[in-house]
Amino acid sequence: MIKIENLSVAFDGPEVVKNVSFTIGDGEILGVVGESGSGKSVTALTMMGLVSETARVTSGRIYYDDQLLLEAGTPRNNALYREYQGQKMSMVFQEPMTSLNPTMKVGAQVEEVLILHDKKSQDGNVAQGEEKKGSKEKAGLTEWIRERDAIKERRRQRVLEALRSVGLKDVEKLYDCYPHQLSGGMRQRVMIAIAVILHPGLIVADEPTTALDVTIQNQIIDLLRKINHEQKNSLLFITHDLNLARTLCDRILVMKDGEIVEEGNTEEIFGDPRGDYTKKLINAVPGRTGKKKSAYQKRREARKEEEGAQGKALLEVKDLSVFYRENANSLFGKTVKKCVVHHADFSVYEGEILGLVGESGCGKTSLSKAILGLNRMVEGSVTHFSNAPQMVFQDPYGSLNPAKTVGWLLQEPLRAQGMLDPSKAMTPKDREAAAYEMLRMVGLKEKYFTRRPSQLSGGQRQRISIGQALITRPGLVIADEPVSALDVTIQAQILELIRKLQDDLGTSFLFISHDINVIYQVCDRIMVMKDGKILEIGETEEIFAHPRNAYTKELLK
Amino acid sequence: MKYLVKKIITLIMTLFLVSVLAFLAFQIIPGDVVTSILGTEATPEREEALRKELGLDLPPVVRYFSWAGNVLKGDFGNSYRFSKNMNQMMPVAELIGDKLPVTLLLAAISMVLIAVIAIPLGVFWARSKNRFLDAVLSMGTQTAMAVPSFFLGVLVTYLFGILLKWFSPGGYVSYKEDFWGCISYLLFPAISVAIPKIAMTARFLRNSMLTENGADYVRTAYSKGASERRVAYFHVLRNAMMPVVTFLGMIIAEIVAGSIVVEQVFGLPGIGKLLISSISTRDFPVVEILILYITFVVIFVYFLVDVLYRVIDPRISNK
Repeated sequence: MIKIENLSVAFDGPEVVKNVSFTIGDGEILGVVGESGSGKSVTALTMMGLVSETARVTSGRIYYDDQLLLEAGTPRNNALYREYQGQKMSMVFQEPMTSLNPTMKVGAQVEEVLILHDKKSQDGNVAQGEEKKGSKEKAGLTEWIRERDAIKERRRQRVLEALRSVGLKDVEKLYDCYPHQLSGGMRQRVMIAIAVILHPGLIVADEPTTALDVTIQNQIIDLLRKINHEQKNSLLFITHDLNLARTLCDRILVMKDGEIVEEGNTEEIFGDPRGDYTKKLINAVPGRTGKKKSAYQKRREARKEEEGAQGKALLEVKDLSVFYRENANSLFGKTVKKCVVHHADFSVYEGEILGLVGESGCGKTSLSKAILGLNRMVEGSVTHFSNAPQMVFQDPYGSLNPAKTVGWLLQEPLRAQGMLDPSKAMTPKDREAAAYEMLRMVGLKEKYFTRRPSQLSGGQRQRISIGQALITRPGLVIADEPVSALDVTIQAQILELIRKLQDDLGTSFLFISHDINVIYQVCDRIMVMKDGKILEIGETEEIFAHPRNAYTKELLK
Repeated sequence: MKYLVKKIITLIMTLFLVSVLAFLAFQIIPGDVVTSILGTEATPEREEALRKELGLDLPPVVRYFSWAGNVLKGDFGNSYRFSKNMNQMMPVAELIGDKLPVTLLLAAISMVLIAVIAIPLGVFWARSKNRFLDAVLSMGTQTAMAVPSFFLGVLVTYLFGILLKWFSPGGYVSYKEDFWGCISYLLFPAISVAIPKIAMTARFLRNSMLTENGADYVRTAYSKGASERRVAYFHVLRNAMMPVVTFLGMIIAEIVAGSIVVEQVFGLPGIGKLLISSISTRDFPVVEILILYITFVVIFVYFLVDVLYRVIDPRISNK
């Protein structure tokens, strides 16, 4: 089906794809697995002829069946590629929220593929019509119009059929919707409809589920599997998520730094990984077994058995409801209060990590903001028994001031604390010493003290964020998706760090995540949230073994 | 409908506020219409008489409300400065009504020029991959933006009027006498008005399109097999127009309010020229109405931009 020989691609600097060769067989699902920057997307985009023009193919060839699509040294034949794009090979992208044109109706966007590629039948009809129009007979003209309407109607029916085939409902209405009226999952289904409407031989799916919630993720994977089964097309599935690749793919390529480091059947790769990197990658995936208990957790459990109590509460949330002002953009508009968290009731105890799991939009972040007092539109009570809780944010790239050095950033909470409470003010020398100590505690060398965030990797930045949160030694840290922007191997390291710090300092964490496996790895207790309501709270093991709520069961699937 | 009512209420409130501010400004700024009319040599008795005649002896609050009441009744008052003939005062409505069409015609022609030239130019520029062309356009637009409009006016007069003799400078014919003659004369001041705006709009559109080119949906369009041309006109242009529409709105408001300098250079009896002379002679009734007119134009154009926004971007109307 597809044959790639010795493909190398470079942008301005060194090659990002090095000497990659592989084939995709008819009807096969090939998974390409790797961390960000491993060159997996560039390979796929080059194959699709979509890579930006600044990229240079420095070696290799790409064949589709026996047609040479691309060869190093010759410029990309865009006209040839246009024949293939959409018709013989199509692509589903990662970002369903932005991959559709916001100013075009959904139906028209699907239909565009037909307009672009179904020229043959149409042109014939139009040419015929043109002739009749030329004769200037009135009957001919009306017939021509009727003919054209019939073509339009046929196209419309095909679009509706395609939308139905990807599991969308109410397609007639959907046809006239704009993308912003659709949820992420629905948009991704529309993208898939665009990809499959002409039954291309190859579909490339580049992280198609990464931006979606877990339950939607499973539905999209099922859909891709079903399409592959029914239409017998090949699927190139790109992902960083090994579990996903394992459930879907026949064969897997593992890529690292632009090279293929391992290739084989799915069972082989997972059963008997040969490469070191593959082993590391598989081990880094947070699973539901092999959880290591930290000394602190053991102590906590021992204490619980002895005393039968949770210990001292650091945070007590009682009957808390959080509201948002639905913004009225004008002087006269009424502001509507919207409830995003309903009657939350829980406590965080000393030295525990409480996990809060739920899908996007379920109110996790609103709850954490309310706890920190960043949102005042609340009912109910939040009582802190520890001083100055801190927060770690999701995005390690945006949450550190790029103009300051690491040392400055680490000292900032101490400076702020000193200003608020003069009794806690420290001398600059003490502050610096504390910052150096924290740098060591989060596992970074002293030389990073004078670096700036732009010189650090995502994992290192997240270490700094954690250091910032912990330097004032708060009793409670709220970590909002602290690892979801990181690659699996880095993710494993950060989780390890959080456990170690909890062990060393005895800090409590409210750990927010959408990833149930991550939660399992670090948390003592779990809280499951959906649509602003807390459905279930309990010990981690207890919930995983005996989930009571139907939604929890679905999450655990 | 509700939207429209809101907009109209906002408009009325703004007009009221602006009229009060303009009135206050006239109380504060130095200079007296009476001296401006009679000169410094007049006797105090004559000054007093004129003051009484114009109603200036009344307290400011009374004067404002009597003026505002008249305006609401549709009576814009009389100009202090201009008169129809020896015995008759010049009504402000007539004075402005005479000059408004000139400014509006000039604005309309300029806008057509801007829209017709700048949008295709911007798209063409965004799509061109020729480095030389890019440099030429970049330099050209930069120059056009930098040249002050009075100089541009002089340049246009010299080139088209004196060298090419396509029009006779200073030979403005009233639209009442010869409509097409007037239009063909106005074309040249319109060019002077339009050139810098064309440069700005084209530049803006080009940048906007280049930014949009990196958007995910553009990649999706290419993945369907769409040609570059189709992607540019079908997908990118509409999305890239969003910021440009705001910009065009600002330009329209500016032009319709009167291109003071260009009107001066080409000797056009427009609003801009009237505004300048009325301010310098403290002709309060004229200035007040002109300010209200400009305020109205600005708000109305922004309203149109708002409506256009909703047409271009379906995401807005659903909020």
